[in-house]
Amino acid sequence: MINLNCKIETPKNIDELLKLLAVENFNSKILAGGTDLIVGKIQGSKRFVDTELLIDINKIEELHKIDLIDDKIIIGASTTFSEIENNKIINEHLPLLKKAVSKIGSLQIRNRATIAGNFVNNAPCADSVPPLLVYNAELELISFGNKRTISLENFLEAPYKTQLQKSELVSKIIIPVPDKNIIGDFYKLGRRRAVAISRITLAVLCRIENNSFDDIRIASGAVTPIGKRFYEIENFTREKRINNDLLINLSQMLGEEILKITGLRWSSAYKLPVVQQMFYQLLNNIVIKK
Amino acid sequence: MKIKFYLNKKEIEIEVDPTIRLIDLLREKLNLTGTKEGCSIGECGACTVIVDGKAINSCLMLAYQVDGCNVITIEGISEDGKLHPLQENFLKTGAIQCGFCTPGMIMSAYALLLENPNPTEEEIKDAIAGNLCRCTGYKQIIDAIEVSAKELKG
Ligand code: FES
Ligand code: FES
Repeated sequence: MINLNCKIETPKNIDELLKLLAVENFNSKILAGGTDLIVGKIQGSKRFVDTELLIDINKIEELHKIDLIDDKIIIGASTTFSEIENNKIINEHLPLLKKAVSKIGSLQIRNRATIAGNFVNNAPCADSVPPLLVYNAELELISFGNKRTISLENFLEAPYKTQLQKSELVSKIIIPVPDKNIIGDFYKLGRRRAVAISRITLAVLCRIENNSFDDIRIASGAVTPIGKRFYEIENFTREKRINNDLLINLSQMLGEEILKITGLRWSSAYKLPVVQQMFYQLLNNIVIKK
Repeated sequence: MKIKFYLNKKEIEIEVDPTIRLIDLLREKLNLTGTKEGCSIGECGACTVIVDGKAINSCLMLAYQVDGCNVITIEGISEDGKLHPLQENFLKTGAIQCGFCTPGMIMSAYALLLENPNPTEEEIKDAIAGNLCRCTGYKQIIDAIEVSAKELKG
């Protein structure tokens, strides 16, 4: 029989939870879906060896719901991928997020794993990150007596490093409802179709007016050290007339940009042409659908 | 920690160590050894059980987390000593060889049919994507689920 070898608390509300998190000299971790943490703890992963206390947030309903309030979609931190995939608000307004989470792991995993758990350790392959970045997601971070909002982009500091303080919890993901004319797509490449860790993910959102890109947002994951927006390419693209040459040009620019970030690696010769082709196809499909 | 939950339609109350996994509670405390442990890391699906209508990996859930839930294991789907149509059809179509993946496969299929009595082949594949079988090659498993879906609809 396997034993997790640590203390577990199950706070019933946010207040109890924040008090537990505020205890200074205790090495605690949040337990939500557990699909990463339980495996990590059992396998003796470095990330969890000093964890003395697990704070299980599953009983706190406030953290586990999806709402549309005014022009913002609010996703509670411990909402599962399956719940997101099947939610009406998400289906209607955030199709890229739906597509991304529906490709994570297996159904058994998606029934437990949570949205905040996906990005809170800032692993480069977190599939929810590129869509959340193009949707301009913000996070609400709470701690005892304190609350702050930060963009996901700023939260994700460096590989496996975030802005989250020890006594803080990601409580909500806040996404402005995208304009009705915004269209886009998400693409994931793994070693096989299902239950695969991503090698490359791309998300694109754009608004096309009079055959030019009125607005465009581009983000990648897995192929870059952390999920990332490409503002230079976005700015270059704005107002440009759409034709095949532009799409080819943009795909080349994205490849060069990624190479600049990651440096030349043994895998570059394989990954770069794939990224460029994927990006070209994504753009092309979006433009054709329009 | 004392927990109370429905297990295969019977309510039980039991004292559990909060640091053990659901699979250990099932297999070692409750002697329900139909649920198998393959990889222990959420990859193989051999440990699949149903919690509140959803298929989950019992190696990735802690035992106390089923407090107040409705849990179904492979032992809970036959009635009055009669096998469930999924079990019958797995046998008939040759969807079982060594049988190690079978309880998990059947629970994934059971959860699918609870939600979607009329699944397409793609939907079946998606539902069992988290269940590995080293023997059969999956075709027979998909057949067994398709036949069962038809039978269950009557
Ligand atoms: S034993 Fe749980 S998924 Fe393999
Ligand atoms: S029958 Fe042997 S693993 Fe599936």
